[in-house]
Amino acid sequence: MSVLPGGLTLAVPSKGRLEELTRKSFSSSRLTIARPGGARSYIGSIKNQPQVTVRFYPAAEIARELILGGVDIGVTGSDLIHEASENGEENVLFVRGLGFGEANVVVAIPDSWIDVQQMTDLADVASDFRARHGRWLRVATKYVNLTRRHFAKYGIAEYRIVESAGATESAPAAGTADLIVDITSTGSTLAANQLRVLDDGLIMKSEANLIVSRTADWTPLRKAQLEALLSIMGGVPPGISTLL
Amino acid sequence: MKTASERYAALVRLVESRTVTRASVPLLLPAGPYFDLAGEEFGRNLLLTTTNNGVEYCLRADFTLPIAQQYIEDGLIGVPSAFTYLGPIFRQENSTPVELEQAGLELLGQPDADNALDQVLTFARWALAIYDITAPNVRLGGVGLFEAFLEAANIPLAWRSRIRHRFGHPEALERLMERLANPEERNDGPAPDSRDTVIEIVTDAMLSGGLSLIGSRTPEEIADRYLEKQALESAPIPSETVALLQDYLSVAESAEAALDRISAMCKEAGFDFDEPLYQVRNHAAALQALSPGADVIFDASFSPRLDYYTGIVFEMTGAFGEVLASGGEYDRMLERLGADEPVKASGCALWVDRLEREASQ
Repeated sequence: MSVLPGGLTLAVPSKGRLEELTRKSFSSSRLTIARPGGARSYIGSIKNQPQVTVRFYPAAEIARELILGGVDIGVTGSDLIHEASENGEENVLFVRGLGFGEANVVVAIPDSWIDVQQMTDLADVASDFRARHGRWLRVATKYVNLTRRHFAKYGIAEYRIVESAGATESAPAAGTADLIVDITSTGSTLAANQLRVLDDGLIMKSEANLIVSRTADWTPLRKAQLEALLSIMGGVPPGISTLL
Repeated sequence: MKTASERYAALVRLVESRTVTRASVPLLLPAGPYFDLAGEEFGRNLLLTTTNNGVEYCLRADFTLPIAQQYIEDGLIGVPSAFTYLGPIFRQENSTPVELEQAGLELLGQPDADNALDQVLTFARWALAIYDITAPNVRLGGVGLFEAFLEAANIPLAWRSRIRHRFGHPEALERLMERLANPEERNDGPAPDSRDTVIEIVTDAMLSGGLSLIGSRTPEEIADRYLEKQALESAPIPSETVALLQDYLSVAESAEAALDRISAMCKEAGFDFDEPLYQVRNHAAALQALSPGADVIFDASFSPRLDYYTGIVFEMTGAFGEVLASGGEYDRMLERLGADEPVKASGCALWVDRLEREASQ
């Protein structure tokens, strides 16, 4: 929530390509984001927009803050909104895609599982896995919520999630999981690890989005400031704030 | 007119009656057994907490699991036991924590399973009566009956387990039924490969992918399922059998009529199914006798999602359509929890807050 009666908080990814492309996307609308302290500072501003406070957060944290209303506007991957909370998407408004950070969240299995092409095959494998191996089928992922929802949709209950912070694609070879749910943009990392996406294994398509929090405290003044900012950015029909 | 606290006191008396032991179960429990028994789907509803060394605990999410576990740990297997419980449970629904009052009965290791189930039904009936609910809507389902049906209808073994595993999950079962009703075109490719060839191909692929041949699915397992799939695709279930299966699953009406209908459709299909139906009939009749005003439905496709249920399952709903009591027979649960032999188990859980809402409407 903003400290001032008016004023907006904009959350921008704090590092890497996502930060770079977000700032580029804003500056192409003549909104130049300044980060005075450099990469080690977590607060910034937009030139000529004193009412906007910029905060730099990791992308996953931006998703959480948007859902909880801790920031008003943010740029993050749509996958992270869906992952952050079971009903994350109800608490935010996707204003528009920004044309970068495209990636798919997919279910991938070892290529050597020649008997498995679809989620229904995976359901068969999961159902008697424990009887055969004395443990549940293990899925490595950092997308716990997305995985649970997708598997539930296909009636797969007999598995365990192994939370993986990084290098998920190596989990099957490392023996820590049997298959993975992960993000892929070109598929080359999966292929290099001899993993194959199931025919119906696409859980969601994701890209970096401009997102507005529905749960933030939207006063008439702040709504007007939001409309003004969005109109500068362009590509957004006026009246978004009426949906809040 | 009874007050809420009088009703609660009556429930406490029922739970503490002389023939049963009221179990005391800690509020904080290791989360592992819940995940092991019920998997991720139930696990997402747990309220978890983690110790500094990464061990997960959860707030008590039900009573059945810890009671059954205690029964095993105390070395009681084979000893007929009757446990009751009453107290709060904690879960999360749509990321919101909820605290609910639950009461129930667990009958473990009872020599006469039919008698035990009738006791469970009677217990639920009495509990509902405390809240002045004398004519609940009762839905009965037959997990054991469905398994017996798949066998009697002569459905190939490999298909049988695929169908059984989707029972209780309407969407997944419907998709499978569609697949059965419209078998894929048989691909007239080369003749089926020999098992050894397939194993060799899979082994090579696994090794080149850096996979252990023993840690996860083995080459033999993958090859066997691959060949089984080929065989199943070339020998689909006859369409009459699929139609019979669909008819069976669509049965949902008052118990007597429903069971008559199943009996008739089986006779028409050329096999006798009266013996397995007999047991369900008895329990339905017992239920009806307990609550003459109740609407007792047999729903052939009704089953809880958890695969440790074995025999008859039931749920009772009230005026608001909420489930007030649910339970049944779950003979596979104790084995799942580590018992060395199957243990007869049946029980039910009651949602006290909902009962109170019904009574005070």
